[in-house]
Amino acid sequence: MLCQKCGKNNATTHIKTVINGKVTEQSLCGYCAAKQGYTGFSAGPISNILASMLGQTIQVSAGISSHSCGCCGATFADVAETGKVGCAECYREFGAELLPYLKRIHGGVRHTGKVPGTKQLVIKEETGSVSELKAKLASLVAAEKYEEAAVVRDEIKKMEGK
Amino acid sequence: MACWYKEADKVGDIIISSRVRLARNLSDLPFPRRMNDDMFIQLKARVKKAIDEIAATGDLKLKFIEMNAVPENEINAMVERHVISPDFARNYHDRAIAISDDESVSVMIGEEDHIRIQVIYGGMALDKAYELADCLDTALNEKLGFAYDNQLGFLTECPTNIGTGLRASVMLHLPVCESSGQIAAVSDAAGKIGLTVRGMYGEGSKAGASLYQISNQITLGISEENAISNLKVIAEQIVDREKAARASLDIKELEDAVFRAYGTLKYARLLNSEEFMKLISMIKLGINMGIIEKDTIRPIELLIIAQPGMLQKSFSVMSPRERDEARAEMVRNMI
Ligand SMILES: [Zn+2]
Ligand SMILES: [Zn+2]
Repeated sequence: MLCQKCGKNNATTHIKTVINGKVTEQSLCGYCAAKQGYTGFSAGPISNILASMLGQTIQVSAGISSHSCGCCGATFADVAETGKVGCAECYREFGAELLPYLKRIHGGVRHTGKVPGTKQLVIKEETGSVSELKAKLASLVAAEKYEEAAVVRDEIKKMEGK
Repeated sequence: MACWYKEADKVGDIIISSRVRLARNLSDLPFPRRMNDDMFIQLKARVKKAIDEIAATGDLKLKFIEMNAVPENEINAMVERHVISPDFARNYHDRAIAISDDESVSVMIGEEDHIRIQVIYGGMALDKAYELADCLDTALNEKLGFAYDNQLGFLTECPTNIGTGLRASVMLHLPVCESSGQIAAVSDAAGKIGLTVRGMYGEGSKAGASLYQISNQITLGISEENAISNLKVIAEQIVDREKAARASLDIKELEDAVFRAYGTLKYARLLNSEEFMKLISMIKLGINMGIIEKDTIRPIELLIIAQPGMLQKSFSVMSPRERDEARAEMVRNMI
């Protein structure tokens, strides 16, 4: 399919815009898409590899202007344009919009790696309070780290038994 | 311990170096793109305090350096020694780095994320590198409180790093895979499990020293251990492939090529970067194939210290021609 703007190049970017519930779709070549600011997550060096993974489908959601991060002020348009997130809180604010991207980039959307504070290898040896340990247990279970969770559970039992 | 490129000449064969990087952010500051000057000052002060406290316990001493106090020549040289990223060097004024004496451990402050913890060693040492990065991460987190979400893991400015925030990589010397056209196949195999291969010093071209870096791309939905073990498995497969390719070489022809490279390096009066890289790669191959004795020449150390920024730093500012002359002289003195 040819680009709907210039009619010369192949369309590689499909843009779906939702404004006040009205959906419009556009198929553009990379050049025309970039000219209109739809660079999405294909900006930046690592993202070059991602561009193909993402299929360059960019969806601009409804009401972007009214919907911004209460913490840093970024709108989803800012995030989509730069491919960069404004602050940690943005991931909660724009969770619904970001999840499909994360899934396409990484395949999964659930963290299965390190949980902060699970490895107390250096510096301090103090063990946390029971409530801290319970919070840790909850996050380990959420991360499906059952083996480590079992260790923490036993630790809590031991402390409560005292 | 010696810095990675000196270590690489001692322990490295096909696998030159191993690197681990963790991206982290403080939970109560916006990501660097949205930070103002005051926030950068605050970020640096808080990280410096944490680094100093860790140093006081005697576990790991890192020196804190404000980047705007570092001369331009040294900035380029730091990129060439893989101490800082090219991105960090491009816009370094507000940034700072905390670094160990041997430069194997560093914490870049104010790059794309608030903090980038990096550990780099010579040879295959991914586990050891991750172990140290993990410890430092735990210690810093206790003092700084990193942005973390139960579902998404560590939160980063770029969604490509979210989750573990881990980028692990190994640098490989693949002269025979390269000359026999096998890099594309290597790259495909790595791509199937979410790893990428890229050429170092001259993107995938013959202009480099046949050095390639493989690294993980996926950080969400995979644990650090699995990401590193995938990388190790693929690295070993590539090493086997390179070894098989080396085994089929004509030894006389190889000896001839190695000694010609040696002769040129020993007697040349002008060495441009491209020629130098090709020759040094041949020397590295010669050492690994038992043609040249290991201690007569240290190719990886030479490769690093003969980069333009490193040369400029040692011999003050020079034209390209003067640089080629200085490079030849330095190489002669080290053989
Ligand atoms: Zn077009
Ligand atoms: Zn935000």
